Amino acid sequence: MAEQRRPSGLRARLAALPAWSRLLLLAILVAAAVVLSKWLILLLLVALGLWPIVLLLGLGVLALLSRGRGGWPWMKGWLRGRLRGLTLPGLAVLTALVIGGIILMVTDKAVFEAMGEGKIFQGLGLAFANWGKAYWALYEGALGNPVRILTAIGRAFSGEGLQPLLSAVRGPSDTLVQSVPYIFAGLAVAIGFRAGLFNIGAEGQIGIGWLAAVIVGFSLKTLPAYILLPLSVLTGMFAAGIWAGIAGWLRAKTGAHEVITTIMLNYISYRLSEWLLCGPLENVQGTCRSQDIAEAAFLPRFLGHPVTVHWGFILAIIAVLLSAWYLFKTTWGFELRTVGANPHAAKYGGMNVAKSIVLTMFLSGCLAGLAGVSQGLGITHNIALGFQAGYGFDSIALALLGKSNPVGVLGASLLFGVLRAGASRMQSMAGVPTEIVQIVQSLVIVFIAAPAIIQSIYRLRKLKREETEATVVTRGWGA
Amino acid sequence: MAAKADAIQARRATGFARKDLLMTAGIVVVGAVLFFFGRYGADPGETAAFTDQELGRLFSLPSQATLYALAGLALLFGGLRLFRSLGSLRSVLGWGLAAAVVFAFLVWVTSGTSLNLSGMLQDTLKLATPLVLGAMAGIFCERSGIINIAIEGMMLTAAFSAACFASIFDSLWMGILVGVISGGLMALLHAWLSIKYKVDQIISGTVINILAAGATRFLNVRLADPAGMSAPGKFDPIAIPVLSKIPVLGPILFNQQPTVYLMLILLVVVQFVIFSTPWGLRMRACGEHPRAADTVGVNVNRMRYLGVILGGMIAGIGGAYFSIGEVGSFEDGMTRGAGFIALAAMIFGKWNPVGAFGAALLFGFADALQVKMQSIEPLLPFANVPIPPEFLQMTPYILTIFVLAGAIGSAIGPAAEGKPYEKQ
Repeated sequence: MAEQRRPSGLRARLAALPAWSRLLLLAILVAAAVVLSKWLILLLLVALGLWPIVLLLGLGVLALLSRGRGGWPWMKGWLRGRLRGLTLPGLAVLTALVIGGIILMVTDKAVFEAMGEGKIFQGLGLAFANWGKAYWALYEGALGNPVRILTAIGRAFSGEGLQPLLSAVRGPSDTLVQSVPYIFAGLAVAIGFRAGLFNIGAEGQIGIGWLAAVIVGFSLKTLPAYILLPLSVLTGMFAAGIWAGIAGWLRAKTGAHEVITTIMLNYISYRLSEWLLCGPLENVQGTCRSQDIAEAAFLPRFLGHPVTVHWGFILAIIAVLLSAWYLFKTTWGFELRTVGANPHAAKYGGMNVAKSIVLTMFLSGCLAGLAGVSQGLGITHNIALGFQAGYGFDSIALALLGKSNPVGVLGASLLFGVLRAGASRMQSMAGVPTEIVQIVQSLVIVFIAAPAIIQSIYRLRKLKREETEATVVTRGWGA
Repeated sequence: MAAKADAIQARRATGFARKDLLMTAGIVVVGAVLFFFGRYGADPGETAAFTDQELGRLFSLPSQATLYALAGLALLFGGLRLFRSLGSLRSVLGWGLAAAVVFAFLVWVTSGTSLNLSGMLQDTLKLATPLVLGAMAGIFCERSGIINIAIEGMMLTAAFSAACFASIFDSLWMGILVGVISGGLMALLHAWLSIKYKVDQIISGTVINILAAGATRFLNVRLADPAGMSAPGKFDPIAIPVLSKIPVLGPILFNQQPTVYLMLILLVVVQFVIFSTPWGLRMRACGEHPRAADTVGVNVNRMRYLGVILGGMIAGIGGAYFSIGEVGSFEDGMTRGAGFIALAAMIFGKWNPVGAFGAALLFGFADALQVKMQSIEPLLPFANVPIPPEFLQMTPYILTIFVLAGAIGSAIGPAAEGKPYEKQ
């Protein structure tokens, strides 16, 4: 844990400074980051694409640091402390990917045909070759081709401009773009889990947020960007928050289970958007699509085509930090977690359980709404029928995978962003339907929710107790 | 507990519970709306004619007078609910009120034109079929103590495999059989995760739903569709020889596709098995008080496996209804949330097959009405615009929320639901 370490020299010196100068320092840092944002994002994308090199560099730096602190034993302890919680999720993802690969192989038609002609070994070879091709396409679509990135860097330094580099880091950029809605939606479900609430309605809340943000974005075209952009972001966020708040209110007042009410609200929101998009909001007859939002409402992009990373990514990172702060450093967050751990104790301790439930569902909805907002204002710039892309349901897996911890959700979202960004390339390159990713994701949930399976596959005995305990969110249909 | 005690105290003091007052206020509003529709929605001389496809005109009603009468009836029910001595009649009064409102709506829609009533009731029964089957699946599962939100996933899997295997074997009945088996297999996965590995039952159900959506689409795109296996055709309605000739009732009940008959038979069987046999009693005991059941020698976990798997098999018929009963081919996500509405019907019917049947008929009716209204397009009073069909499609979902919010206090599920059982 970070708090328990002895403060380093720099940290102690910073803490000794007066508050105003610390704030000033922070402001200067933020301003510098905003000014340099373009280059920082490019650096991040390159680092993602060249992650093995970055990993090795990191280990090298760690080894250098460890020389003054006791060498290898210290480094081992440090690494173990960082990796301890990752065994189970890592193995779960690995196992799910392997099973996904096996499913790919046994459903391969070319393999069937080869086997049918009696060429068993050829068939097997083909199966593995196709599997390899599919997963390589997945990797390349999500993280880019490292060789291409390296040559593009070389060409950029030799004065050929940034364009080759930009197209080489398209994979990492797609991954980040895909992970933005995942981060928001995953946080939404995770916050619910912390309060013992299961928000399955993220999908509908995403739609409501998207819809509201886009409506504001195209109907108030005359406003300048510094008003219109925040206004549409906030409208989308609060609309979704209120939408989810209905379920929270019903749960708190009548005991109607939020699993059913949020699912019902999902279907209501689908019908609502069908009516709006093919009716009053339809721009061109027969398209079931709204008109485009004003340029002032766009979430700006950092770099040129084909890199589409936009400011939604920064918002998502801020959302991660804010949720972590809210959950673990504020009184309301403490109440929320207590209600989740034991509502009776919370009530006995004088906490307002009903308030906590309604507030949590509202915040959860706000976060889910931001997922829609970031898609609408950052990527599509309008809303069309069939916008539901399954982010809401995948987010359940994210919250489980990240153990309902905001930082964990961030990691899980990046992973799912990789899967999703790679899936479309896998479809175009290897002809594998993108739904294989959905199967892999549901397997991940199974393995995370039932750690005993992973434990018995890998004969692990050393998993900590907290890791083997299954998450519990159910309390029957009643209150 | 404290809140409950307060509520009891309040009832003693005033003679009314707050919830009763709210309900009554709601009923008064409903009555007022009906009056409003009668006064402004229908012209004075108009009649609503109800027809039958064979007999022609069945009866016609003066719409305005009928609407006034039904509004009065709704108010009467609202008033009767307040008498505590009539407490035992409340559920009857509730159903009566629902029937009055539904009929009033029907009269308003038909006002000035005619409506094929028996055709519509036939559709109602047909549309209610998957909901009843899903609800029975849920009842089996939950009565034995396992929460089941995976009905949707089980039905979707069954819809896909039924379509596939019906075209492989070139027999729709084989399709139903395989649908039943695949529904049972998905249920087995749910039972295995939630009983053996003690996975949270709602998470396990969600896994089944996500897996079913992904796997059916994946297999359909990759294997079934290219091979032309996802469109086997569908059942024709089977007319039962003598019974289908009964006027009005015959076509409604006895000229349907086989899954509807299967549903009706299962309805009787399941109701009997769960509530009138020793085996059913043991199963219910596992859902209410597993320790007690264990003490008298019932193998709780085996009972739960059985309950979940039997439920999954029934859901399998419900899935087959979609692909080879109704549409004739498999389409992505074709169950469209029926599994969740079935769940609501189950809660609405208080974990009782016959009650769930009533609720499913209500939902089915809303669906059938919505299809009809797209052709009649009645105009809303004053605004003079037709009601968009999407809003009518919302009604089952909105109704479900109201039912959950209003009824959960009086409809409490099996006590030990959701808790894994550990033998001591």
